[in-house]
Amino acid sequence: MATTSASGTEFSAGLNAGFEADEELPPGLGPWRLAWRRLRRNHVALFFGGLFLLIVVMCALAPVYASDVAHTGPNVGNITGTVTVGGHPENIVSLTGIPIGPTYHSRYFFGADANGRDTAVRLLYGGRNSLEIGFIATIITMVLAMIVGIIAGYHRGIADGLISRGMDIIWAFPAVLLGVTLGTVLAVGGIGPIHGNNLFVPAFVIGIVYIPYVGKPVRAQVLQMREREFIDAARQQGLSHTRIMFSEILPNLASTVIVFIPLILANAILLEAALSYLGVGVQPPNPSWGNMISDGISTIPAAFHNVLVPGVMLVLCVMSINIFGDGLRDALDPRAKVRIAH
Amino acid sequence: MKRYVRSVAAMLLMAVAALVIAACGSSGSSSSSSSSASSSGAASTSAAGGKSGGTITWVEGTAPQSLDPGFDYTTQGAEINWIVYTGLVTYQHQNGIPGTSLIPGVATALPKISDGGKTYTVTLRKGLVFSNGKPVVASDFAYAVERAIKIPWGGSGQFITPVIVGGTAFSTGKAKTISGITANDSTGQITIHLTAPYGAFDNVLAEPSLGIIPKGIPFQNQPNNPPPGVGPYMVKNIVPNASFSVVKNPYWSKMNIPGIPAGHVDQINMKISANVASNAESVLNNSADVFDWADTIPGSLLPQIQSQASTRYRLVNLGGSVYYIFLNSQNKPFNNQLAREAVVTGLNQDAMSRLGSGTLTPACFFLPPAIPGHPTSASCPYGTPGLGNLAKAKQLVQQSGMAGQPVTVWSQERAPRQQWMTYYTQFLNQIGFKATQKLISDPTYFTTIGQLKLHPQTGFLDWNQDFPNPVDFYGVLLDGHAILPTNNENVGEVNDPYINAQVAKLGQVPTVQLQHNSAAWQAVDEYVAKKAYVATFGYQRFPEFVSNRINFNSLVFQSVYGWDLTSFQLK
Amino acid sequence: MTRFIVRRLLGMIVVMLIISIITFLLLAAIPNGNPAYRLAGRTATAAEIHDIEVKYGFNKPIYVQYVRTMKNIFTGQAYSYTQGFNVLDELRAGLPATLSLAIGAGVIWLVISIIVGTLAAVRAGRYTDRVLTVLSMAGVSFPPFFLGAVLLYFLGYKAGIFPLGGYVKFTSNPWQWFVHLVLPWATLSVLFIGFYSRVLRSNILDTSSEDYVRAARAKGLSERQVLFRHILRNSLLPIISLWGLDLAQVIGGGAILTESVYNLHGVGQLAADSIGKLDVVPILVVVIFTAFAVVLLAAVIDIVYAYLDPRIRLA
Repeated sequence: MATTSASGTEFSAGLNAGFEADEELPPGLGPWRLAWRRLRRNHVALFFGGLFLLIVVMCALAPVYASDVAHTGPNVGNITGTVTVGGHPENIVSLTGIPIGPTYHSRYFFGADANGRDTAVRLLYGGRNSLEIGFIATIITMVLAMIVGIIAGYHRGIADGLISRGMDIIWAFPAVLLGVTLGTVLAVGGIGPIHGNNLFVPAFVIGIVYIPYVGKPVRAQVLQMREREFIDAARQQGLSHTRIMFSEILPNLASTVIVFIPLILANAILLEAALSYLGVGVQPPNPSWGNMISDGISTIPAAFHNVLVPGVMLVLCVMSINIFGDGLRDALDPRAKVRIAH
Repeated sequence: MKRYVRSVAAMLLMAVAALVIAACGSSGSSSSSSSSASSSGAASTSAAGGKSGGTITWVEGTAPQSLDPGFDYTTQGAEINWIVYTGLVTYQHQNGIPGTSLIPGVATALPKISDGGKTYTVTLRKGLVFSNGKPVVASDFAYAVERAIKIPWGGSGQFITPVIVGGTAFSTGKAKTISGITANDSTGQITIHLTAPYGAFDNVLAEPSLGIIPKGIPFQNQPNNPPPGVGPYMVKNIVPNASFSVVKNPYWSKMNIPGIPAGHVDQINMKISANVASNAESVLNNSADVFDWADTIPGSLLPQIQSQASTRYRLVNLGGSVYYIFLNSQNKPFNNQLAREAVVTGLNQDAMSRLGSGTLTPACFFLPPAIPGHPTSASCPYGTPGLGNLAKAKQLVQQSGMAGQPVTVWSQERAPRQQWMTYYTQFLNQIGFKATQKLISDPTYFTTIGQLKLHPQTGFLDWNQDFPNPVDFYGVLLDGHAILPTNNENVGEVNDPYINAQVAKLGQVPTVQLQHNSAAWQAVDEYVAKKAYVATFGYQRFPEFVSNRINFNSLVFQSVYGWDLTSFQLK
Repeated sequence: MTRFIVRRLLGMIVVMLIISIITFLLLAAIPNGNPAYRLAGRTATAAEIHDIEVKYGFNKPIYVQYVRTMKNIFTGQAYSYTQGFNVLDELRAGLPATLSLAIGAGVIWLVISIIVGTLAAVRAGRYTDRVLTVLSMAGVSFPPFFLGAVLLYFLGYKAGIFPLGGYVKFTSNPWQWFVHLVLPWATLSVLFIGFYSRVLRSNILDTSSEDYVRAARAKGLSERQVLFRHILRNSLLPIISLWGLDLAQVIGGGAILTESVYNLHGVGQLAADSIGKLDVVPILVVVIFTAFAVVLLAAVIDIVYAYLDPRIRLA
């Protein structure tokens, strides 16, 4: 969703329908056990959660595949070489630059790209980069959003005003536009000592872009929470503000955070792909699903596999996160009972 | 139910209102034609066999920087503007080497050169008018030069400002006019004084940026509304970076300048789309008519083009452009001769050619074939270009003591340039360097690597001739005096006393003489190859590719500027 | 409500101001961001570059440059430094394509997601719901540049049904306008349909447990009447505001990827091209324009909202 319009609104509305914490629990069952029970019954969500895990494991094993199966590396091209297919040597890249299609053998399983690199190997390494960026960006978003959300919600007043306006500013930029602008600036200059080629640069950009999407609902929830009795009690016990924020408020945000993680992860991966597609994400020769699609577009139509393979993988990965996340939300959402009763 | 209907109706109403606004908003601006080239207009059959009249569509991957000749310095702009803005002299409208010869344009004859090559005198033709109907006078030429200096035109720092007497004073505002140009409006005589003899100045006069324009156009780039010119066609309906139209100049038929054809089609609609593959597809399926020659047809489409469109496609080596890798000769590791030799020795030009859809002609010399001085008989100093000698290259890197040195490879984004540098980065790593690729977006690439303080180590460069004289290559790209703090074109910081001296000396020889005797330039070119100052990796062969509606055999593919618009003709 | 809108507008103006300052500073921070280098042309001498810096004031302090640029934008004299055109004219030229894309896609995604969301809610927990959930989630997972490439390849190139990108003005040929926009509409809508139908589904389910719905059922109204008269009416309200804001983002150039893949030359593509060229004036204008579009649409929605829901009007 956030890839094109990147409208902040998409998330906010989805979440407002969420987490007022009042929950009627069946006796003897904690909220987490209950959520787990609900999730276990949702086979579709579990299936896609499993699929996502499978993708993560496959990508993590990229070096093993590269060295033991394909016998090549992600950035090793062999433009003028040949590969034996069905007993015949065939050019990896033809004289007019057409890369070989899928061989479905250990070497060039999904064919080659224009530079004669093994698409399957790059797919796995690209997935590693995409996922790594997605995870780092999600952590950056979650940590920073929690910090600013809790501070704004708890202290209110000037701190809230500044933080909320700051989030408005990030929000008012279309995500892709903001990402591309930041990416262009940072890809040339790097961040301080960090080189522009480092994976951390796109991860940082993406992490910043999504802060308001989490920060706003967290702030709203904290605002509500600070009026509740247990906070009052903590205050009367003379606990410091920091202590209250960490030990009283933070644990109560857990379900919000858990629901947001897949949502942000899915969108971070999509935004990474978009930035790489536009040339400001993962810098070549390092692969990512986005820049593989972008490279592949130059070899359409004779080598459509170079667009299709990373594209399908990207969609499968994001889709499995989304569906699992949706199931997770259903499970943690106290109103899920409505759905079951209906 | 009522409320629900109302809410949806309200939303739909908003939508409809907005649509109406959208549609109305478009009516005010210029109309560009639909994507299909179905429009043909009233076309009448001419004696030559083809038709005259009609409208064609031309697709292009990269937009001209501007269509104002006073600013633009791109092949995409020049291929249009050399037809629209005829200079005092111009090139023959012919294929191949004849296309590099000059003919008189708005002047009555080629310039008379006197004072040891420092004074150029011409006389303007009588009865010329601009495409807006205004008569042309001699002082309009002086105005065009002033404008090209002031805006400034991208090539002015090299070819005009320091070359013409008083150019620098005018540029810096110390003088109100250029003292080196005198123009007499009543006799039409124009005299130009140069600061030093410059053998290629005839060719400079043919640049579209010195094409004659009326006085009074502001000294500012006019991308939407370029000045009127004198030429068979003129440009209108410009939407920058998206589209423009080239239409017949209504005043041209009265003037009849010999050697410049009037053109056949009435209108050419240019459509700019960065998706070169779909551009090529649309020419293949005849929904567009002309594929821009400066774009590379994706190799993946070539088999289909060769089987379905062999009668309207061919590859031509214009011979005026070179693709090369600069090697910074002032900084590690390529200040080491052996390190540079290693690159030239090991580079797999076959691989580079495949990445370029098989359109590269292997090469080792800096000067391309259509430029006088291109070594025709000498053999390449570091082995015949082909697969490259990787083992030897590795050995050379070890010998050089530069093994393990970090190298940043500067790279443009668009295909296949990015892919070339991806291959090259991997190659450098193979032979023993620690290379990383650095990608810069196309429009800012040259200004980025042109900053001397970055001291770029190596990366992609190309050069397409401004005119067929080696000084256009050596004077701009490899002369020590051309090393500048910003917008540096001598990116490799080559500063060799022998080259500098030869450029100064041979640069004075008129282009016409070089066509008969270019041995001295040839020696320079062989010297550069021997010193491995640059790693030339090929001369591009460019595609002539049009739809089946175009008369393919009558097309002229001009050596200096590419497509000759006046040769487009519907069958 | 006037006071509310005035306060919102003031808030947005401050945000717009800060956004413009940040954008300006960001672009000024780029190592090769000095537009004089590109203005002076490839063979320019240091003296020529200096002349241009003086002429355009690039040597002045950054805040002076900022103030002058903003003044130019608001007096309609905003010229791109490196491309020379008047940016407001270019924005105007790109607007028909962007509006056509946004509004067409907006109507499609709204209508389809209402149908899909309602169906999924009515069938909640059943097979249809499960399938629609998976389809919705698949939809939001399709990056437009991938979906666009696939659609162009199969439907445009292979099958030859649709043109290979580009935009045709409605006034010059309505049919071609439509044909050129079908794929972009589809590409953009797919993303939103998935999300909107999910939101609507959960809104409907939430609403159906409200007391007044139970009361309506108790009165003996049929399920269909309850659904359309009571549940859907209230569930749609949040969707409208969501729709308006998303539409504003797309109109403001948010659909960069869709516009670029289909080469529509709209506002988004103007922004994308300008970022590639490090051309600060068009970027500033587009960013401010986006914020403006959001404010405007938000205000319109508030009014529509107030019209639909009397409680808001009274408050």
